[in-house]
Amino acid sequence: MDMFNIYLPIAGIEFNVLLLLLIGTTVGICGGFFGIGGAWIVTPALNIFGFPMPYAIGTDLAHMGGKSIVSTIRHSKFGNVDLALGASMILGTTVGMELGARLVMHLEKLGLAESVIRKIYIIFLFLIGSYVLYDYLSHMARQRKLRAVGAPTPQRANIAQRLHRINIPPMINFRASGVRCSIWLPVLVGLLTGVIASVLGVGGGFIRMPALIYLIGCPTLVAVGTDLFEVMITGAYGAFTYGVKGRVDLLAAMWMLIGAAVGAQLGTVAVKYVRGYSIRLLFAVTIFIACISVLLKQLDLQLPSSIMILTAGVVISLVIIVWLVKGVIRERAATRSANQSVLKTGTERR
Amino acid sequence: MRRKMRRWRLSSASFYMRWIVLLSLVLVVFLPLLAAAGGGKPATKVYNVADTRSMQPGLAKWIAGVYNGSPWMYGLTVVLVMSGMGLVLGFGMDRLLKLLGINLGKLAHHE
Repeated sequence: MDMFNIYLPIAGIEFNVLLLLLIGTTVGICGGFFGIGGAWIVTPALNIFGFPMPYAIGTDLAHMGGKSIVSTIRHSKFGNVDLALGASMILGTTVGMELGARLVMHLEKLGLAESVIRKIYIIFLFLIGSYVLYDYLSHMARQRKLRAVGAPTPQRANIAQRLHRINIPPMINFRASGVRCSIWLPVLVGLLTGVIASVLGVGGGFIRMPALIYLIGCPTLVAVGTDLFEVMITGAYGAFTYGVKGRVDLLAAMWMLIGAAVGAQLGTVAVKYVRGYSIRLLFAVTIFIACISVLLKQLDLQLPSSIMILTAGVVISLVIIVWLVKGVIRERAATRSANQSVLKTGTERR
Repeated sequence: MRRKMRRWRLSSASFYMRWIVLLSLVLVVFLPLLAAAGGGKPATKVYNVADTRSMQPGLAKWIAGVYNGSPWMYGLTVVLVMSGMGLVLGFGMDRLLKLLGINLGKLAHHE
């Protein structure tokens, strides 16, 4: 295994290339599938294997920008990227992240930053995971009722539908999402998610994805693709700013990106074979795992937390790959039987 | 047939052009704007120097050279290399998946 070790000149350490490829592939699969950056997998994984923390954060952001380009291109060809919606949210997110950073500075002056932020993080992750899981279970209950009764049950307007009714011009038709709302809605949702992401010290993909679904009303796949577009922009900014500060090991980022490019394509193509609510269920499980990991860190159990998050990332990637392989086999079988029936009909006609 | 090929080529070219223009806008317009949006007095920067004394000539030594040369150049190099690799790997992986026979057309959105 030592023959795969390379010297990383910026971080000043030796690191195993296969490990960089594994981390990159794992986070690429999860990122392409859920529409997230995956910093909460990469940063602790690099750190426990010897990367100094500032270099782990900077290197992750650098590779995240490149990886998100791969996923966003694929998602856009699938028709899952709403550029207008993404651009509107970026305006809000940029301002939100700056406001969040200033709030953190203020909390730091009051001596409350450490104690408050981690607790908010745990509560927030728990609430997001719970809501997404509740949404999935409600959907399954509605489906069971529909199968039993044969007619759909009347539903109240959800949060997104109520927000769409707010008529503050200009009203925009976001075609890829199939949403018509005031432009201020995505700008304000971007602002809110930017503040939260900045306070928590994360990229925000796992906050924006559910926000796009539940507050803006995007279909799940469009939320995944549009979120990746934003991750691409924030990743590029993060790569630049950390690069200027000298905290990016470019060689490590390049190796991770090779793995992430493969993983991102696999994760992105897997969404083709999985229904939106199944993506939400796995997303909820991932969020709960992240919540437990942060709780372990809060209890000063750093190593178990990092090992748990890396193992969970690998297991979730394997689940996604299994769904992908099953989907490809099903698609090929369907194509073969369709071709055979066409041939049979042609032969019978003769 | 020729018209269809021409239309496909033009639409593919305009699709790629859109991405190149968008990424260029990000690099040229957004990055300096976002960097300038950072408020407050900057902290004292601690910038390490990469040790190239025992390194063999190659990619790693070149990266270390750029890193030691100029922080701004290094930052720009990181963004350009990551974006360039992302684009090349993205389109390359697309071709590979098409060769494997996976249908990569537009998706219907099923919840």
